[in-house]
Amino acid sequence: MNILVCIKQVPDVSAPISIRNGQLSMDTDRMVLNAYDASGVEEALVLTEAHGGQVDVVLVGPEKAKETIRKALAMGAEAGFHIQAENLDDFDSNSYATILAAFIKTKSYDAVFTGKQSQDTDSGLAGGMIAHKAGLPYAANAVGITSDGNGLMVKRQGDTGQEMLSLSFPCLVTCSNDMNNPRIPSLKGIMSSKKKNVDTISLGDLALDAAALKGKTMVTGYANVPARAPGKKFEADPAELASQLVNLLQNEAKVI
Amino acid sequence: MILVYLSTSNGKIKKSSLEVLSHARSLASKAGIPLAAAVVDPDPARYSDDIASYGPAEIFTIADPIFASHLNQPLTQALSQILSTAKPSVFACASTEATKDVLGALASSLGAAALPDVSSFELISGGVSATRPVMAAKILAQAEAKADLVLVSVRSGSYDATTAPSTPRITTVEYQPGDIRILLKEILSSAGSQVDLNEAQVVVAAGRGIKDDEGKKLIDELASVTGAAIGASRAVVETGMFPATAQIGQTGKVVSPTLYFAIGISGAIQHVAGMLNSKVIVAINKDADAPIFQYATYGLVGDLYKILPPLIAELKTVYGR
Ligand SMILES: Cc1cc2nc3c(=O)[nH]c(=O)nc-3n(C[C@H](O)[C@H](O)[C@H](O)COP(=O)(O)OP(=O)(O)OC[C@H]3O[C@@H](n4cnc5c(N)ncnc54)[C@H](O)[C@@H]3O)c2cc1C
Ligand SMILES: Nc1ncnc2c1ncn2[C@@H]1O[C@H](COP(=O)(O)O)[C@@H](O)[C@H]1O
Repeated sequence: MNILVCIKQVPDVSAPISIRNGQLSMDTDRMVLNAYDASGVEEALVLTEAHGGQVDVVLVGPEKAKETIRKALAMGAEAGFHIQAENLDDFDSNSYATILAAFIKTKSYDAVFTGKQSQDTDSGLAGGMIAHKAGLPYAANAVGITSDGNGLMVKRQGDTGQEMLSLSFPCLVTCSNDMNNPRIPSLKGIMSSKKKNVDTISLGDLALDAAALKGKTMVTGYANVPARAPGKKFEADPAELASQLVNLLQNEAKVI
Repeated sequence: MILVYLSTSNGKIKKSSLEVLSHARSLASKAGIPLAAAVVDPDPARYSDDIASYGPAEIFTIADPIFASHLNQPLTQALSQILSTAKPSVFACASTEATKDVLGALASSLGAAALPDVSSFELISGGVSATRPVMAAKILAQAEAKADLVLVSVRSGSYDATTAPSTPRITTVEYQPGDIRILLKEILSSAGSQVDLNEAQVVVAAGRGIKDDEGKKLIDELASVTGAAIGASRAVVETGMFPATAQIGQTGKVVSPTLYFAIGISGAIQHVAGMLNSKVIVAINKDADAPIFQYATYGLVGDLYKILPPLIAELKTVYGR
């Protein structure tokens, strides 16, 4: 079973962030592997460990994003594909999906995994878009994946419960981070990742033109989330805290 | 035309869909364009009276037994058929796990632009402008889409559902099943709370501070006395004490109740992303420096196992239960 995982490099959203001259400005320029994609890599590794085959990863991004490919290789992925694109400001999920689908069509993986969403934009579009463009059936928001060797059984988190879906190869699955806890690369994994192959691919190699990939959506500005009115904090004995709260909910907030 | 897809559950239109329909009605009337609704269900006719109270000029329906449960391929097929018939310039829906499942494929197959999970949207010349929480909801992005068709999904609680009765024309579209290469084997419904999280006025959310059955019982009691839906943090879902459907946050659900209780929750940004728009936030945490207190309207510092029993008792008197 050969699995391709689409991985994205995203800014570390837990770092302090501010808006400067209309642009986002982070205290650190630390970039990380999208957490949902890390869960995709982990699940793909678990599946190939059980059924044989290999996990490859593909990333669309600038030169700096190569470190994120190395991270996935250190986790245990076999080969990396780096589709180079520098000015990403004009790109949206549809642009990335177009590129990734074009790449996937040149290969013959049994399954393609993506994250269910990017941690920075929370778009959650690219998976379904890639599936459509590459002509693959798909399941989204997977919290569990098993295989019988001919296809995948996916447990998807739906609105009111978990939906068990069966897909035959080839197919695509978008992964939730609730599926697993991605392994931390071992020292050995990190050392061997340096020797693994990363193919560099240009948009031209895929017969794509950057200008034609411009997104249909664009961000025109950023704003801070309006601050909440300052709250009140109480420390007292439990019974006192309880009656104080009930009094405030009734008479100040008037919500009960 | 603005076309609003209405999600159904348990024989009712979801409240979050009616919120979107209400907002779309005001946008349509301002722009002087028609408002239409769409229902895809085994028996869509049963909703017509309800939908008519919200003012669309036309209702597009697809009826087929396959829509008794969610499956992405048939829903995408049905919605593209309705969109090809209705030819709206804007398609709007509530953001649910079902619509998240199909939005990307739908946009790609129709060549449409998509603005997912917005907290507000307006019509602009040639498209739609929307506000989207990004960076784990720490920042609001203003986004624009200009295309012949723009798809928008809206976070629940972003607008009020308000009625304005009409007598809509009903257009039935014949469902043409495509080549289905995905099979729904089983639905494992979670025996979670009785109240739907997305629609709840009160949410009681449990975190890792809930350690055992005794703690879970306190959460159940607090929810039952306040008529709340039960939510949970990722950390406590991982323990298996609460179902994954209860998870609130970046990976989980986004809720915006009038009253939110965060019980034994530290307040990680990924959790806060799902509850920041609650009107009143009550936090109970034994760590006075827990980040959740930065968001709490009322913060109680102390042991939840000691605070909840007297609180539940007092609330029982208030609610007369
Ligand atoms: C990409 C990504 C997505 C994520 N999505 C989500 C999501 O959707 N939802 C989500 O919740 N998390 C999500 N997380 C995880 C998140 O970062 C936190 O790990 C999680 O929210 C922590 O849950 P918690 O507050 O219950 O646990 P903890 O952080 O362990 O906090 C437990 C709290 O309980 C308090 N406590 C303990 N005992 C008591 C007591 N007896 N009385 C009172 N207080 C007590 C402690 O002081 C502590 O503050 C995500 C993370 C990532 C990376
Ligand atoms: N630049 C990229 N390179 C590789 N994969 C990507 C890229 N952008 C998006 N993806 C994949 O698509 C998923 C969803 O992306 P999004 O639509 O941005 O939320 C991500 O979790 C990735 O798996």
